[in-house]
Amino acid sequence: MIIMKVNEWCMYCGECAGVCSRSLIEVRENSLKFDKKKCKECTICIQVCPVQALAKEE
Amino acid sequence: MLIETDVLVIGAGPAGSSTAKHAALNGSDVIVIDKKSEIGAPKRCAEGVSKEGLKKLKIEPSNRWVIKELSGVRMIAPDGTSVWLNEEKVKLPEAGYILERKVFDKHMAMDAARAGAKIMVKTLAKGIRREDDHLVTTLETMGEEFEVKAKIVVGADGPESRMGRFLGLKTTLKPKNMESCAQFEMVNVKMEDPDSIEFYFGSVAPGGYAWIFPKGDDIANVGLGILTTETDKSAYDHLLEFVKNNPSTQNAQPVELNVGGDPVGGMLKELVTDNFMLVGDAASQVNPLTGGGIITAMEAGVYAGEVAAAAIKDGDYSAKKLSKYQERCEENIGVKFKRDLKVKDYLQSLSDEELNSIADAFHDIELDTINTAELIKQLIKVSPKALLKLGKLF
Repeated sequence: MIIMKVNEWCMYCGECAGVCSRSLIEVRENSLKFDKKKCKECTICIQVCPVQALAKEE
Repeated sequence: MLIETDVLVIGAGPAGSSTAKHAALNGSDVIVIDKKSEIGAPKRCAEGVSKEGLKKLKIEPSNRWVIKELSGVRMIAPDGTSVWLNEEKVKLPEAGYILERKVFDKHMAMDAARAGAKIMVKTLAKGIRREDDHLVTTLETMGEEFEVKAKIVVGADGPESRMGRFLGLKTTLKPKNMESCAQFEMVNVKMEDPDSIEFYFGSVAPGGYAWIFPKGDDIANVGLGILTTETDKSAYDHLLEFVKNNPSTQNAQPVELNVGGDPVGGMLKELVTDNFMLVGDAASQVNPLTGGGIITAMEAGVYAGEVAAAAIKDGDYSAKKLSKYQERCEENIGVKFKRDLKVKDYLQSLSDEELNSIADAFHDIELDTINTAELIKQLIKVSPKALLKLGKLF
């Protein structure tokens, strides 16, 4: 199963949530919550991050 | 705990606060929630608005939140050639005032509160479901869950909006329709004209542009938006490079970093469903050419608030009733966006060399002496494909 790694420098801007076609990302003021079970690993969220805070962890 | 209200607005940015204010002014019970502990912070944008836009919204500029008045625009080609425009010659989009967004957003929320809306901060919307003729939204604040039963819910929850998706609206954005933005607020910025905003085009910001928006003295927002489909580097990496190479910012120091997505694909096709409306960034109500969205978000908020209040009065919250909001948005915002989308497509198709030759042809032209048709004629001379891409628009 894929595990999305949210690095410490994430700024919770929500751009990843905006492009997630499965609506799996919940952005809070100071945290991100992924619904990992439904993730199909399209990695669009990783690509759009303005600060490269997201990564895939096998 | 279950709270009942007429209208629940998710998000207290300019779109949400404007909606809340106008729904409340027209007699509805309104609750606005925002997930953040401080409305307006951190800012997610370059803070420019047009004077005309504020005037149209009947919002009196206040020295609490207008931090800088501008008189001109400088557009810079990749080789540094500048084209200057000033207020007397050309209407300036998103360029009349620079706001202090943190203060502005709060003041807009205060206006909503003064009109009668209730505000809840640090409150997150987690889910939404239909129940009879209402929507029940699950909210969370300080670790506690509760529900709000509302006749109408307004999704003003930004480009990451999920409320619309929960109800079947297509709000997911494609990466090609979402600018990835990064910005420093900087000090020690040396601008050629501190009363003009600057736009830098070309490979400095693939798929977008870079900007320097002065905030008075030697302070400025220095940022850029890129399309991640056009570059392998992040917006932040492009920003570092821009700041390092630009003569205005070489000795500047950052005091704040902002990042975020800007939905520039044109207004969404579906803005309403039963009991629900989308406003602001959540509805992609952002000028696709400039990326500016404060004024349009607030304009849409006026329509949404008025339509919501009328629906409450009539006891009809159906999509059909709420479609009046969509109609007003399309008529007053959407039509212009469609034209700007085409101009954006044209701009994005230009190489650095093409941009340089256009800037070269225009940099010493007296813009006040020629009209739009003449301008396009000049443009086509140096950039023949403008005829194909823009000819029909003007």
